[in-house]
Amino acid sequence: MENIQDYIESGILEQYALGELSAAEQAAVEAQAASHPEVRAELAQVQAALGFYAEAHAITPPAAMRERVLANVMAQIAAPAARPGTTLRADVDALTSAPVAAAAPAASRAAAEAVIRPMASAPVATPSGRSNWAVAASVALLLSLGANLLLYSNWKNANAQVVALQNDQARFAQTSQVVERKLGDLRQENEVLRNDEFRAVALAGTKTAPTAKARVFFNVATHKVYVDVRSLPALPAGKQYQLWALDKGKPIDAGVLTAATATGEGLQHMKDIASAQTFAMTVEPTGGSVGPTLSTMTVVGNI
Amino acid sequence: MSDNPLISLPPAAEEDLVRRLQARDESAMTLFYDRYSAALYGVIYRIVKAEDEAEDVLQEALVKIWNAFASYDPTKGRLFTWVLNICRNLSIDKIRSRQHRVGSKTTGIDDSLTAQRQAAPTAFRPEHIGLQEITQKLIPEQRQIIDMLYFEGFTQSEVAEELNIPLGTVKTRARTAIKVLSKLIR
Repeated sequence: MENIQDYIESGILEQYALGELSAAEQAAVEAQAASHPEVRAELAQVQAALGFYAEAHAITPPAAMRERVLANVMAQIAAPAARPGTTLRADVDALTSAPVAAAAPAASRAAAEAVIRPMASAPVATPSGRSNWAVAASVALLLSLGANLLLYSNWKNANAQVVALQNDQARFAQTSQVVERKLGDLRQENEVLRNDEFRAVALAGTKTAPTAKARVFFNVATHKVYVDVRSLPALPAGKQYQLWALDKGKPIDAGVLTAATATGEGLQHMKDIASAQTFAMTVEPTGGSVGPTLSTMTVVGNI
Repeated sequence: MSDNPLISLPPAAEEDLVRRLQARDESAMTLFYDRYSAALYGVIYRIVKAEDEAEDVLQEALVKIWNAFASYDPTKGRLFTWVLNICRNLSIDKIRSRQHRVGSKTTGIDDSLTAQRQAAPTAFRPEHIGLQEITQKLIPEQRQIIDMLYFEGFTQSEVAEELNIPLGTVKTRARTAIKVLSKLIR
């Protein structure tokens, strides 16, 4: 059994509470919660936090909505109970075609009772024939009722499957969009790397970060600048790496590195630089600074 | 009560409501509406962003809560958590089917999702004072991630793709944000 604290910190409880997990994964989390009080407590806390967040966004619905929604809900939740009774009544009326008003059964009476009683007033020859008819009619009605229920539940299942498939398809479409965008990014990176006009400038770590390493691709003709991180120290919260071009000793802002670039995920297109002899990177507050904080210089390299 | 100033129903009243719903007491739905509609409508509205659709989803959710009540297990979590999830799922299905209808082939993920996110604040008018406090306690990056996860139906990996940040960062921010929220409850 893995360490419970690791399990809690893996983020799976958040995923559970946010409804991201498959049915099997959900069951696994529920099993962990059932056997470990710490997991149960943490999960309850996550759910309470999200509930709290939801409630902070509460909006009282328009007053007129209350009547409307409640009336519709009541009609819908009452419907399945009432419907079989009324259908049965209509069928019975059609069968007998005799005046049965006096014997009209209360809606709440049992179905079998409702079927048999109107038959009594129908013009039928012998008592034995009458009871045979009644049995046959009840059987037919019950069969049709059963068939209706079956069809209804099949239809509901099919409907749910269609919705599920539509969701799958929408999700798939989203995923392929993401993949396409990634491919576009990679293609662009490849163009930079293969282009002879770009000059690779190796930036080496300074005293503050001897193992830090990065590269800048600088196109003197088009002034385009790309940065590629090999390894940079992790940043404290609220800080970002900023790239500077030094032109005759004067620092020019070349833009800040995204968190993904700083962890070495790929090339980042920076601001255009007209002319430079040196590139350097410093640590600045999120969003970047106007001038470099020289004491935080992490990597530097000459063209 | 002391441990939770916001969530509308004290545990005893919630248990009573659960018992009545389990006993198929239809009048309990009126009580349910009065207790929870503001919280549920707020969440639904935040997701679907249109009043008429929010009303449809709320109605659909109430019917579903009634019909599926047998599957609610009080030992697994609070009633509020369960009904919130039903409302969120129905709302997210709604926006997904809407995206599907207008043609997910032509609308890129960036366009449709970014457009939705930008559309939100203009029509959004929360009335709970709690929100102000939360806005100040959560840093914008945390709030953005929680909103995407909670109100826009993104998975954590989709958030990472969309914001172009590592999945680990998304997980950390989401966890920290939820920690901040649970501190606020106390």
